[in-house]
Order: sequence, then structure tokens, then C-alpha cells
Amino acid sequence: MKPKVLLDKVGLWSATVVASTALILGVAPMTAKAINVPTAVTEDGKNTYKKYCSPCHGEEGKGDGPLARSMLPKPRDFTRGAYKFRTTPSGSLPTDEDIFRTISYGVPNSTMIPWDILTEQQRASIIPVLKSFSEAFEVRKPEPPVNVGLEIRPSEKSLAEGKKIYEEKLECWKCHGVEGRGDGPSAAEQEDDFGFPIKPFDFTTGKFKGGNSDRDVYLRFTTGLNGTPMPSFAKELTDEQRWCLTHYVMSLIKPEETCK
Amino acid sequence: MKKLGLGLCLSAMMALTTLAVAAEKPAAKKETPPDLYEGTPDWYKAVYRDNVGMREGSGPFKDYFKPQMLDMYWQPNRHYEPMKNLDHSIFIEKERRDLCVTCHEEATPGVVRDWRSSGHKNPKSTPYLSSRTAEIEKRTNRVLNEVHCFDCHADTQKKQIRMPTGEVCGECHRPQFDDFLREREVGRPNHIQSWEANTIVPWYAEAARRGYLYGQHGCDLCHSGAEKCDVCHTRHKFSAAEGRQPEACITCHMGPDHPDAESYGESKHGVIYHKEEEHFDFTRPLAEVRPGKDYRTPTCQFCHMYEKHGRFIHNPVMKGIWRMGTIPPKNLEYTSSLKDYPYGIKIIGDKIDIYSEENVAKRSYWLEVCAKCHSDRFADTYLKSLDQFMFQAHTLADKAQKIIDDLIADGFLYPSAADRDPYPLSDGIEKQLSPAFLGEPIYNAFKTLKGKFPVVGPILGVYGMFLQQQDNPSDIENNYNRLWFWYKLQGYKGTAHVQQDVSWWWGQAPMMMEFTKIQSEAARLRREGRIEKVSVSK
Repeated sequence: MKPKVLLDKVGLWSATVVASTALILGVAPMTAKAINVPTAVTEDGKNTYKKYCSPCHGEEGKGDGPLARSMLPKPRDFTRGAYKFRTTPSGSLPTDEDIFRTISYGVPNSTMIPWDILTEQQRASIIPVLKSFSEAFEVRKPEPPVNVGLEIRPSEKSLAEGKKIYEEKLECWKCHGVEGRGDGPSAAEQEDDFGFPIKPFDFTTGKFKGGNSDRDVYLRFTTGLNGTPMPSFAKELTDEQRWCLTHYVMSLIKPEETCK
Repeated sequence: MKKLGLGLCLSAMMALTTLAVAAEKPAAKKETPPDLYEGTPDWYKAVYRDNVGMREGSGPFKDYFKPQMLDMYWQPNRHYEPMKNLDHSIFIEKERRDLCVTCHEEATPGVVRDWRSSGHKNPKSTPYLSSRTAEIEKRTNRVLNEVHCFDCHADTQKKQIRMPTGEVCGECHRPQFDDFLREREVGRPNHIQSWEANTIVPWYAEAARRGYLYGQHGCDLCHSGAEKCDVCHTRHKFSAAEGRQPEACITCHMGPDHPDAESYGESKHGVIYHKEEEHFDFTRPLAEVRPGKDYRTPTCQFCHMYEKHGRFIHNPVMKGIWRMGTIPPKNLEYTSSLKDYPYGIKIIGDKIDIYSEENVAKRSYWLEVCAKCHSDRFADTYLKSLDQFMFQAHTLADKAQKIIDDLIADGFLYPSAADRDPYPLSDGIEKQLSPAFLGEPIYNAFKTLKGKFPVVGPILGVYGMFLQQQDNPSDIENNYNRLWFWYKLQGYKGTAHVQQDVSWWWGQAPMMMEFTKIQSEAARLRREGRIEKVSVSK
């Protein structure tokens, strides 16, 4: 009996260590590693964009490629410089690393696959091409990334605080639903800045569009998603409260329901 | 309309059958890769199999029309072209299987969900499935824990996406593939030659030439069963159980030329099926179905896929005797030109001897099926009465054809063949087909008369239902087409499937009414012809 229990525990810890390592290795390089982005549009960048990006995003970056018409959500229109997934404050342009990360990681629940199938150099070469589609990058610079406060642990107390924010303070449920299924009473009315209907995120899927780490989710509350009705709560919530909300929405994930 | 198209194409085809390729016994099947065109002559492969994309059509008259874009999905070997919008080669080169699902889960979620619930996603999810998968693993020397998008859609040699054909399915499902291939043994009408049936008839290319290509959409949809398994086992579940349900057949098998859905569906067999459908166990292989327990009444598949002596075969055409009901039987004395059918034309199947040794054997296999529930005497009596119905129907058709033959012989058919548009695609027939193909006299007729001669009756006379030309055919000829092609066939299906209303009101009754019209029309033509002669002579 005892040896078996011991074995189980060893097994559990080994699995945890392996999983954590995998998670760290998998996420960290994309977010932290310095990338070498060309300062101007290159031939390689143009060709890569044309071959792999323009079928959806269009030759001029308007989100109107030949495959776009039947797609929902619609591919991003780059001409406004509105990028959802950033480390920069609400309304700011993204950093090159932000764009690189989205290209590499993809956007779950959309047809934007992780383009890690392209070399790092190819992915980096696309970034000036995307930026060239919007005048915003000529007249403005991305603001510095927001400060990520010290993470607090998910505890009974922090989850309760997150729930309170979700249900009472911010009333997240109005769009995202009481159980986080993206089915709140206002869900059907939401539109993005491009005039397309946009579905509030269903937290139960656990496939967060901007990344699945605590930090990623925290960043969404801090930076907001430009071009969408999802605002930044950097002013409304303290750093600690944003962590509480992060842990709470992550507690809504229902792995048994995530398989489509 | 679609049904019509289907039907006529089918029937035409059966006529033109010899073209088709007698099946040769494939040697060492298991070692050779699956080939849907195995045993067919080179000319055949060159016009039906070799990929030409959208550049030209299919069949002997391929140069006279360009296909519809949709045809690439119906006949992928011949016409498929990979998408140009997004080059998928990088995914194939790097074998990134995960990305297929990641993207298509959003781009085409229905497809991915279908696949997730299929046996391909979980080929070992039940003991039965496991045992079948184990057989495939052994035969193919592969380990199959998941059959993935990549396995069927990735052409790893050309590094492009392919539209899977039966050959792809046959890599794993070889016994089913080989059974399907055996349809060639009995010739048209069958499924494996259905695209040939669609495009070998001269009126298909002629209609395209006259601006009716897209009017033949209905023809194409049904006749796309030649290369693809998803006609019966729909994408992307590819469920065997689904293929065993009568509904798998009815999108094509309905309508004026073969009202199978209607005649089975409203028969006692069909009514019991609809009433008790939820008690039918379609997960059981046909050979293991216990009549009265798993099925209280037979399905299309249970009767038609029964081959003989308790064995089922993965095609529904092996036991057919009357085939589609279009080809005249040998066992009648004809008064009309039907006595000369098939008129020396080499590409049309000969008359059917209902009492040939082979057909008598087939009949006994039918009785083996019927006897699961009916007495041998009842079943035999029923099927003999079907034969009698067919003899009577063909006799009526013979009388009708005689009326038109006589009009032609006496010079009363109006407008005469010389004053009409020629037979469909006469220039193409003369150019593309040889005396060996057509028979010397027919070939010479095209050569000298350039198609300016009347063509009446099965099968080549059916063109009037598929093509509109100036004065060709005339009304009386189309009345006759309706008689032999629609009403005779409807009566046949109604009788064969035991649906009394279809047998009489869709079959025998309109056949007789059409016959009356033909008689009246003939009398009118003769009268007018005589008046004209008198006035001319004055």
C-alpha cells in the first residue's frame, strides 16, 4: 500500500515538474526572447506576407483577402493600427514583440494559427510589412509596456474578491455571462470598431486568445483589447484587484467542456 | 429535373455500354495500389482519369466542352485543382498535422466536429471498431490510432492538398474498394461508370455547346458517384451505419426515371421502416442483420447488396436482372425496329435474356433474400409477375415504336429528319468515334448523312429529354420517350418495390394514355400529310 502511494506521489510531482517546464519553455521564448526585426520592409517580408498572410488579411492589409469573406471572426484589418494583444497601454500601438508574439502564438478560437511553421526570421520580416499598412506607425510610437505588478496567489480570498469584481464592481457578466460562457444579456449587441459583431470571450473554453498564462490574462485587463468593446481596467482596478479577477476568470475554465 | 438528368444519363449509358471496358480480373490485387480504372483501356484512362483540371471535359467528346468548375469536386481524378488562394505546401512539407485542425476548427467547424465523432478520429473506440482497425493495421502494416486530415488530404508527393477519391479510401478499405470495382463486371447502369454515363452521351457535349452546360447541373450531381465514397458515406463521418440506411440512396434514386425512394418509401416495406426506424440496428454489418429482429423490413441495401449464399457485397448492382428497365428483353417477338436493337451499334448493350443461365441464377439469389421473410412460392410468384409486367410494358413500347417507324417509312413524320437539326453532336461522333466503336453501318450513316436521320427509342432516342434543338425531336417522338423512359420505368419500380399506386398511376396508366396520344398524333400527321399531297398535286 505504502509503496504504491509513494509511487503515485512521485508520479504526480514528476508530471507537475514536466508540465511546468514545458509550459515555461513553451511560453517564455515567445514572450521574452529578443527578436531581430528589420527596420524597413524587405523583399523577404513582402513575399512571406503575400504568400501566407494576404490570403486572409488582403494584399493591402485591409482584412479583405480572398479567404476572408466566409471567416468569422474576420481577419484583422491592419490599416487602423488597432492591435488587440499588446503589452502597451490602452490605445497604444503594439511593440514589435507583441506582434511577433501574436504571429507565433496565433489567436485561439480563430483561423489565425500559430505561425511557428515559419522561421523566426520570416516571422520578424512580416512585422514591418504589417506596420506599413497603417499611418499610425509613422506618426506615433508605441508607448512603453505596462508595468506588471507582483502576482498574488490564487487563494480562496483572492478568488472571492475576483468574483465580486466580476459580478458586482465591473459587471463583467453582462457581456461574458454569469458562468463566463460569453452569453451575457448584452453579448449579442457587441460590435468591434470595424462594425463587425464580436462575441464576448467564453472563459470556459480556456483557450485565451492572447495567451493562457496568468500574466497574459492580467495583461488583457490592464491594456484592454484595442478595436473591441473590451476596455482597459488599469484605472478602475488596482494591480491586486486585476490579479484577483485574473484568477477568478481562470477558475471558470471547464476542461471537460473545452473539447469542441 | 435533377432526377430526370440522372435517369436519362444512366439509361443512356447503359446503352452505350460496351464502350465500357470489360473488367479484367486484377492480378495480385492486394499488393497493387488501389486503382479505380483498373482493367480499363488506355483511351479510357486518358479521357476519364488523367488530370486536366478545367482545361477540357471528360469522355470521347471532351474537346467539345469545358467542364463546370464544380466538376472538380465530382470527378477529382480528372478535374481537381488545388486551391490557389493559400499555398498549403508548407504544412505538408513539415507535416504539421496539428495546424489542420487548429485552423479548420474555426474555418470549417462542422467538418472538424464530424471528424471528431467519426471512427477515423477514434478507430479503436469500441471492441468492434478495434477489431476492424486491427485488420487494416495488419493489412497495411501501419499503426492507426487516428486517421487524420493529413492522411487523406495531403498529397505528399506533389506537396499539395488533394480531394480524396475511392483510391485514397481504398488504401485502408481495400475489400470494400475491390467490391466496388466489381461493378464493372455487370456494366452500366452502375455507380463506378456513372461519370462515363454522364459524359459519353453526345447530347451532354451538344447541350454544353448550345449554352446549356449549367442546365446539366442535376446530371452532374448524381453522376458524381464514380470516384467518391462520400456519395453514400457522407463527409466527414464516413459512417458505415449511415450507408446502410435507405436515406443514403434517395438523393439520386428518386424521380421520373427511377422512383425508388417513392416506390420503396410508400410500400409496406418502407412504411414499416418509417414507423419503426428507431428499432433498426444499422450498426450491424449487413451479413449479421437478423431479419425480424434487427430489421423488421428490408432496406435498399439489404436486398440489393446481398450477393448470394448469405454473402453481401459492397456494391448494389450485382444481382440486377432487368437493370434499369430500359433495355428490351430478348424473350419477346418485336414488330417494330426494336427487333433490330441494338441496330448493330457496338457501344450499346445487347438485349437482355431474362432466362439466361446467369439471370436464372440471379433470380434464385433474389429468392434467398425474400425467403428471409416470405415463402419461396410467394416470392417466386411475385417476381414472375414482375417479369410479366415488364414483358407487357415492353410490348406496348414496341407497338408505339412501330407507329413511329411506320410514319417515318411512309414519309409522314413531320418535320422530317432532313428538315431538322441533326442528331446531337453528329460532327463530333463522326470525328471522334470509329467504325469499330459504332458499327460500320451507323458510322457510315453519320459520314454520309451528317446526322440527318431519325433516331427513335431506347437508348439513343432519349436525347429529346436532354436537349432542345430545332424540330428535333418532334412532339410524337417525345411522347414516345415519356412512354418508354418515364412511365415504363415508373411502372417497373412500382411493381418491383410493391407500391401499387406507383405501379398503376405513375406507370401503366400514363403509359397507356401516352400510347393513345401517339396514336392520335400519328393519325393527325397522316391526315395532314395526305391533305398536303393532294393540294400539292392539284
